[in-house]
Amino acid sequence: MAKEQMMTGCRAAAEGAKAAEVEVICSYPIRPYTAIMMELAKMVANGELNAEFVHGEGEHAQLSVTLGASASGARAFTGSSGVGVTYAMEVYSPMAGGRYPAQMSIADRTLDPPGDFGSEHTDAMSTRDQGWLLGWACSPQEVYDNTLINYRVGEDHRVMLPQMVCQDGYFISHIPDKVTLGDRSQVKEFLPPYRPIGPLSLTHPVSHGPQIRPDQGAPMDAMRAQTFLAVPKVIEEATADFNRIFGRNYDPFLEQYKLGDAEIAFCIMGAHANTCRTSVDRLRKKGVKAGMARLRWVRPWPTHQLANALGHVKAVGVVETSTSYGGAMRGGNLIHEVRASLYDLDKRPLVTSFMAGLGGETIWPADFDYMAKVLAEMVKEKKTKNYVYWIGM
Amino acid sequence: MAKELPGYGTINVPKDREVPFGAVTPAPVCTQNLFQTSNWRIVRPVKDDEKCTRCLICYLSCPDACWIYQEKEDVMEWVAGFCKGCQICINECPTGALTAAPELDFPDGVIRLEKPF
Amino acid sequence: MAKVHEITVWARGVIMDKEGRDVINIFAKAAQMDGKHAQAFDNYEDLPDRVLVTVRKYVRLSDKEIEHKYVYTNDQPEVVVIAEATIVKGIDILRGMKKGGTLIINTNRSIDSMLKFIPNAKLLGTIATVDADGITGVRTVDFSGSEGGVDTSGIGKGIAAPLCGAIAKVTGLIKKEHLAKIVSDVSGMERGYKGVKVKKLN
Repeated sequence: MAKEQMMTGCRAAAEGAKAAEVEVICSYPIRPYTAIMMELAKMVANGELNAEFVHGEGEHAQLSVTLGASASGARAFTGSSGVGVTYAMEVYSPMAGGRYPAQMSIADRTLDPPGDFGSEHTDAMSTRDQGWLLGWACSPQEVYDNTLINYRVGEDHRVMLPQMVCQDGYFISHIPDKVTLGDRSQVKEFLPPYRPIGPLSLTHPVSHGPQIRPDQGAPMDAMRAQTFLAVPKVIEEATADFNRIFGRNYDPFLEQYKLGDAEIAFCIMGAHANTCRTSVDRLRKKGVKAGMARLRWVRPWPTHQLANALGHVKAVGVVETSTSYGGAMRGGNLIHEVRASLYDLDKRPLVTSFMAGLGGETIWPADFDYMAKVLAEMVKEKKTKNYVYWIGM
Repeated sequence: MAKELPGYGTINVPKDREVPFGAVTPAPVCTQNLFQTSNWRIVRPVKDDEKCTRCLICYLSCPDACWIYQEKEDVMEWVAGFCKGCQICINECPTGALTAAPELDFPDGVIRLEKPF
Repeated sequence: MAKVHEITVWARGVIMDKEGRDVINIFAKAAQMDGKHAQAFDNYEDLPDRVLVTVRKYVRLSDKEIEHKYVYTNDQPEVVVIAEATIVKGIDILRGMKKGGTLIINTNRSIDSMLKFIPNAKLLGTIATVDADGITGVRTVDFSGSEGGVDTSGIGKGIAAPLCGAIAKVTGLIKKEHLAKIVSDVSGMERGYKGVKVKKLN
């Protein structure tokens, strides 16, 4: 039985990549994800991991190398943070459309200006239209687990999509917490080897990414959308398998905490969910019926699961650590999809959003108390007064 | 028929947390008092005026511009507020006029900061 | 919520970054062997890749699970450990300390000469010095391990071992027996434990 160690999120991501026996790693330094690549470089140098370690000259080159490696049939791994994620923007759609299931391990960082390296989710959220699988972890243990689950889901032949495994910079990536690594037999049972479809090959020549006619564009897009209809089932199977083999207890899409009889609920993502959980406990002791729904996946968005989980709640507060300036609610970007998921219910909860934790600030328990107060007022007056509240401003 | 729609709320940035417009900050022209690096040093250069030939090699080689030639008094003046104790001047001095002494031997010379920057 | 003890370690960038990190990692491991809950992490804003800059490392210790995990600084340190003595001259190291705290300095100078540099020493209950440089003679072990990466040369080879011995003796928050199982340089740790000079103030 593997023992519990204290490990940062960065180290856990590197251990996940090592357990998955990745074959090509492409790196470029940017704080805070850079420690993942430092760990992997050490593993490759010591002979613990047999992989090609390539240095890109920028994040765009990084992703391009990963695309080429995956197209040739290697299990590829890369990563970035903050403006590095947006620098590589051009390559995301070709990788998703070309169906190369590489993995990108992102430790969030705010986008410039100025050079703040605190954690905000906007960097990875701004790529959510590109067709990748996208999800967030809330602890170093979950980073390790998500690395393996994402390779299994992404490389499944019903899916074949690249994945982004995201964690909050500093809070998860640099603060150690308890992690239990899987042993080799468990990983081998869970994660089969990568079998590419139509890889670049000398014996069976193929072309990747040719020019197409306009009338071929729509069917291509429709086929990519069909894949996303099939993904949720693969996620459920993979998570159930993972829980069985490794002894964990993950709900495939949403972590539902004390939602059963909740009147107000927080919808949240990432590290601050840990503070939210303890705040829900504290609010319950004071007699407030609070609950929390934590999103594990953003793409594919768990529409029905959210509607079922939050439908009976009277008021939902979406806690956002990302910005979408000029968006419909003039706040973040999760709120739009939460509202859309709840729109078709007969009895809709009141929904508002809270901008908290921006710039990498800690969200204090007192902030959650304030949010609960706002939600309780909304329930009492039976209406949503504002779409968005900025905590501290 | 027209139900009152929710508003966007108000956003009030507290005055003590305001940042400059577009994060555009003035750049220092000569010296500035935001990044005083005197507390980086462990040793400081001690000058022997007899051996010093005013060759200005310490002034040329200091990466932080911490040696100034005072023309009227004809001495080299050391800037305590920014010297990081890198000892390049001590190594470069051709006459051995500069020696290293532990900073803790001296009661002052370091600007005591509230927080690191 | 159970009390969280905060310990701050001050070191210098690049040349003793790993030493500072060793102190907190040894401390956290020893506390966990005792059944306590501990968190040990670097300060994120200190950019330790600048040679000689002052950097902070934090340990947080509690009997129960630490509820509030995501802080950037230890705002009310109980114990402050200075791995390089000149730091007391240039920074307000006792900032935020409540009355009765402890200060441990790595130096071979006298306690009174150190106190001259600390204007707010009335916050202290105990001050101690240990000559960790003299005990081990090794200040820089290696340059690995910043940014959450892995330390290569083993834990507790340089001045971290006598410093941890001194902390165990002065504060009693960790036990010497656990330290002996964790550090590489056990004799250095023992000499730090025995050789620390303590003075009670106020």
